[in-house]
Amino acid sequence: MKKSFFSQCLCGIAMLFLLLPGVPQSVSAENEKTLYEGDSIYNHITIRQAGSNRCMIFGRHRDQRQTCISLSRPDESVFEYTAMMFIGFQLLPNTRNVCLIGLGGGYIPTVFRLHLPHVRLQSVEVDPLVVRLAKDYFQFRSAAGHALSITDGRQYLRRNPDKFDQIWIDAFNSDYIPAHMTTREFLELCRSRLTRNGVVVQNVHNSNQLFDAQVTTFRSVFSHVYVFEGTSSSNSIIIAAQEPLYPPPRLCGERCNSRIGPIDLARESRKFDPNPRIRKERILTDDYNPANLLLNRK
Amino acid sequence: MGLAYFAFALLLFTFGAVIMSLEILSSNLMSPYFGGSVYIWGSIISSFMVHFSIGYVLGGYLAKRAFKVSFFTFLLAVSAAWVLIIPQIHAPACNYIAEQIVDVRAGSLAAMNVLFFVPITIMAMVSPYIIGILTHYHRDSSLTAGLVLFLSTLGSFVGTNLTAFFLIDWFPVSRIIVGLGWICLATSLLVLSFRLDRKLGRASRIRL
Repeated sequence: MKKSFFSQCLCGIAMLFLLLPGVPQSVSAENEKTLYEGDSIYNHITIRQAGSNRCMIFGRHRDQRQTCISLSRPDESVFEYTAMMFIGFQLLPNTRNVCLIGLGGGYIPTVFRLHLPHVRLQSVEVDPLVVRLAKDYFQFRSAAGHALSITDGRQYLRRNPDKFDQIWIDAFNSDYIPAHMTTREFLELCRSRLTRNGVVVQNVHNSNQLFDAQVTTFRSVFSHVYVFEGTSSSNSIIIAAQEPLYPPPRLCGERCNSRIGPIDLARESRKFDPNPRIRKERILTDDYNPANLLLNRK
Repeated sequence: MGLAYFAFALLLFTFGAVIMSLEILSSNLMSPYFGGSVYIWGSIISSFMVHFSIGYVLGGYLAKRAFKVSFFTFLLAVSAAWVLIIPQIHAPACNYIAEQIVDVRAGSLAAMNVLFFVPITIMAMVSPYIIGILTHYHRDSSLTAGLVLFLSTLGSFVGTNLTAFFLIDWFPVSRIIVGLGWICLATSLLVLSFRLDRKLGRASRIRL
């Protein structure tokens, strides 16, 4: 009797675990379908679709949407910041290779595949499940000249001596940031992996004190730091270079009429803020790094 | 016995707090060299668990053999001295290990053990040693095994929260670790100065 009760308990626990991962195809709100819900070793990931927009969401709050694509126009930027990151091509039109840290749903590689076929792209993503979901749900696929490494972004740069014209950093959620990729030492590593005129392009949220600390830290490493402020979101893009950029962002404006697919680079460039208001913050280092505390401080 | 109880409570609380503070800080020490993945936390927690296990056995052994409190506090002073040098050795040690071991899981596990095996193993001896030594000298002690674990865990609670929510915000990690080292050293020397062996022996004779 005891044995049968014990085995019943075991069966119950096993059933519980079998039922936990993934809730495919459940309808969670009007016109919104949950296509996937499950846990990786890093994140709770949900994939939802509303109309033709499909989003990969990290965490359990709806506002933490990380990456979205339009299924009808996969090269159209659903978020402001993803379009803004392409300003890097306005400033360095002859870019030949880019390192992207943080894959998400793979929107950025899709734009590269469709509109920048001559540019080599090295993507780095730490979470293997994100890669699988990007392939299964977001039309992410490898193209000629594209490579993907599943590893930590800082470790990738540490171990690979390759140099890039642009390093794009998009590895942060709105509620958590990998602190070791905010420090002066990390930016120095990035600088050492840039070609002579290369730039670092980083997506940041500008509504917290981490933004001030990050700009301060960028300024301690790079001679030229430019901030582009989102007009319809709390995202900003920091672009940093050792050499002055030509054309300087403030002079570009209407004269820069280039486009990458549906992304209007002239419009994005006008978001340049020549005098961003940066509150006094200490430089973030490997030794002093309260990044995640600053992230939650307005 | 009042002074002995105070000394033991001080040791339990202080070292309980310092252990957890170091555990929180170790993620800052590891992530620049091995990444910020969940593997790093796996290495940190599993390493500390191994150090705890060995420390518990050794602490129990020292108590059973009635090693003097002065010898034990000397060991604690050694662990404090080790903590004081962690900021100096961590960068070269982690750099070397990261170069030698490509796998971040094995690398971080190795680095955690190089940096923390000695101090955490010694610090983990505190609770079993005090429980054992009180049983040896003073079986009816009001400092029960439950109270010993309570004080140590209370220290751990304070150490965890103070470090994660305040100290990391206020100071560089290296300075926090040095501060913890000095606190451990001062506590060990203070307890050493109490000459508890004589007092415990006398109390034991009175009870008998």
